[in-house]
Amino acid sequence: MNQEELNNKLSEIKDKLIAVEQPAESRIYLSCEAENSYEINKFLFEDVGCRFVTVTGIDSDDCFEILYHYSYDETGCVITLKAFIRDREKPAIESITPLLPAAEWIEREIHDILGIDIKNHPNLKRLILADDWPEGVYPLRKDSP
Amino acid sequence: MNWKIWSLKKSPWVFHVNVGACNNCDIEIVNLLTPKFDVERFGIKLVGSPRHADALLVTGVGTRQAVPRLKEVYRQTAKSCVVFLVGACPCGTGIFRDGYHVEGPVDKIIREEDPNAIIAYVPGCPPKPEAIISGVVKALSAL
Repeated sequence: MNQEELNNKLSEIKDKLIAVEQPAESRIYLSCEAENSYEINKFLFEDVGCRFVTVTGIDSDDCFEILYHYSYDETGCVITLKAFIRDREKPAIESITPLLPAAEWIEREIHDILGIDIKNHPNLKRLILADDWPEGVYPLRKDSP
Repeated sequence: MNWKIWSLKKSPWVFHVNVGACNNCDIEIVNLLTPKFDVERFGIKLVGSPRHADALLVTGVGTRQAVPRLKEVYRQTAKSCVVFLVGACPCGTGIFRDGYHVEGPVDKIIREEDPNAIIAYVPGCPPKPEAIISGVVKALSAL
């Protein structure tokens, strides 16, 4: 699949996305709501054949953003899927660990330090915070002291 | 000279404690043992247990998880011992100041355990092996 075919392939899931940006030939940003993130991840990994790189969690001012980074190695294109979690009181997103076991630890880390509930995660234990760290305190949230 | 201080200075065996370092200072410490610097010619030797050690080489900022462990290691070290703080992080928390996981600086943690601890500072990010040797020599000649 060359770059043009990749772009056409990505347009198959257009109706689940909010926005598609392509600031450079080999860099694509897809935006979606958190509810659709699992299906789009599954599409990128299984149907498109992207390589999973990592996940990033960000506390934006009005929502949480979970960024799933993929690489399409045939053309060297880097694809980032931004999933927006609008609910700030009980933020939750579907786990991709059943699909991609490599995401287990990074999802646990996001759960630790941003307090986002990762639904259907097989092993959602504390990973990087200290053993005596209080429950319900999330150090990388914007409102954290 | 007090015989305890004499024996401490004669051949200081050191135990290396990492309390949240980025590994850069640890690499420089390992570098001290390579043939180029070879600190064993001065009788300085890395040992595997704090009970065998005369000095602690502490690297890292002193994270929340590591603080009780560092205190335990300090308690187990035979007194009198010297604590060398290697790098900017243990000396004054460096770039990790005000981080959510930071309990340091390490000298404060050691003083909580023993107010009369002998502490030597080797700043740098990371300090050169020459600087660490110089710090050890200066600390031991000040005793």
